[in-house]
Amino acid sequence: MRPSVRFFFLLAVCACLQAGLIVAADQRLVHADEARHRVVKTVAVFGLSDLCIATDARYVRHFAVSDKLSPFMDHPGAIEHFPTGSFWIPEQ
Amino acid sequence: MAGSYLDRQLNIADYALSGFIRRLGRNSVVVFIFALVIFMVASFSLTTTSLKHSASRLLTTVPDITVQQMSAGRQAALSVTVIEKLDGIFGIRSMEPRVWGYYFDENNGANYTVIGHANFSDKARIAGLGIDFLPALKLDADADPAVLGRGVRENLELGERRTFSLFRPDLSVQSFITVGTFSAETSMVTDDLIIMDLDSARELFGLGPDDITDLLVDVANPLEIDTIADKIGERLAGVRVVTSERIKKTYRVAFGWRSGFGLACLFGAVAAFFIFAWDKASGLTPAQQQEVAILKALGWHTEDVITLRFWESLIISALAFCFGYLGAWMHLLFFDGILFRPLLLGWSVLKPPLSLVPVFSFADLLLIFSLSVLPYLAATVIPAWQSATIRPDSVI
Repeated sequence: MRPSVRFFFLLAVCACLQAGLIVAADQRLVHADEARHRVVKTVAVFGLSDLCIATDARYVRHFAVSDKLSPFMDHPGAIEHFPTGSFWIPEQ
Repeated sequence: MAGSYLDRQLNIADYALSGFIRRLGRNSVVVFIFALVIFMVASFSLTTTSLKHSASRLLTTVPDITVQQMSAGRQAALSVTVIEKLDGIFGIRSMEPRVWGYYFDENNGANYTVIGHANFSDKARIAGLGIDFLPALKLDADADPAVLGRGVRENLELGERRTFSLFRPDLSVQSFITVGTFSAETSMVTDDLIIMDLDSARELFGLGPDDITDLLVDVANPLEIDTIADKIGERLAGVRVVTSERIKKTYRVAFGWRSGFGLACLFGAVAAFFIFAWDKASGLTPAQQQEVAILKALGWHTEDVITLRFWESLIISALAFCFGYLGAWMHLLFFDGILFRPLLLGWSVLKPPLSLVPVFSFADLLLIFSLSVLPYLAATVIPAWQSATIRPDSVI
């Protein structure tokens, strides 16, 4: 087998692996569908507004209902210092 | 014609691959570093897409309107009597008062989210929420019932115990008895929650008997949410009115390349490409110049040498892209984004078990491809032309 054919074969294997990973991720979402219904109902019953991703900074825990200035409100001259804050973009 | 063109391309590709294998050590390092850069960029992109997707799937039933009182630029308590003021607004289906606050556990430095809600006592409404109810006990009159998130229960180290105590603002102790725990599958929204009755939450935070922190408004017609939100804003002085659309919009834009870490990833990728481009543009080694000269002496045209350089770049960038992108998917799917978890969790003492499921998006794939492979190919154009125009007699 010539090298270029082997190279394209390797790319094809990678593409198949990628397709397999996409299908596996999709299956995981399908299996989590029942849990999703429970989460959606919990959100509705208790009026939750946010995902529980981090619990250190309060403005990150409840990002949707926080002021975009709240990271700087802790004290005069406060700067944003929580590492989690680097993953989020304040709403414009 | 097409067959001979394809044959010619495959022959040049074969030669480029044999060159790749001749310099396997150097090329492997380039592919590895290039793949690492693509892995970081793709992992970040997949993480943010996954979080956005989770928010869009799970936060579909957020309150239509959340009303909060603001005082001196900060949130303050709201009187439950505002319900009477809003009662006349046509289109409001229901209003639910709520006490929502944070409890800082000084024993371990964790933050809990405390929610006092009237629905807590309504068994019909909390059925089917994924709460694992514990066997009924004869409740101690002094202990208020509470449902805990899984993370809170673990953090309080309750073990088999059902009762726990929290401090009120005056440092007196309020006792609670656990009546249930949220199941692990709802941890994405409940991990740090302590749910209790409205009056228990008021007592815990030292609020007055009529005080609430926010009012949740359910609107009959979703098209009227903005209009009703405006009316609420007009009737109540100094309130903040948050609509469901604003919450969803916040999560649509909350994660992306403009965040600090996103920019760090992007700058890292750009810096790596500059180094690659500089390496390529800084000229050929004498051995490479000699190789080109011999090829030209053997009858290769300038066009053939440029094509050869293109194939060499394509092989490196295609391999790096495949390995980097595949690695990023495995990182998210099998390892739950373990490299990004410390950053996502930050200084959280209570660490929610975040489950990240990557979601395929052709736009993301194209973006990562455009950010990685295309600049590398573009960076090799000028050096390829420079190397192709070498005069054989000047080198050999």
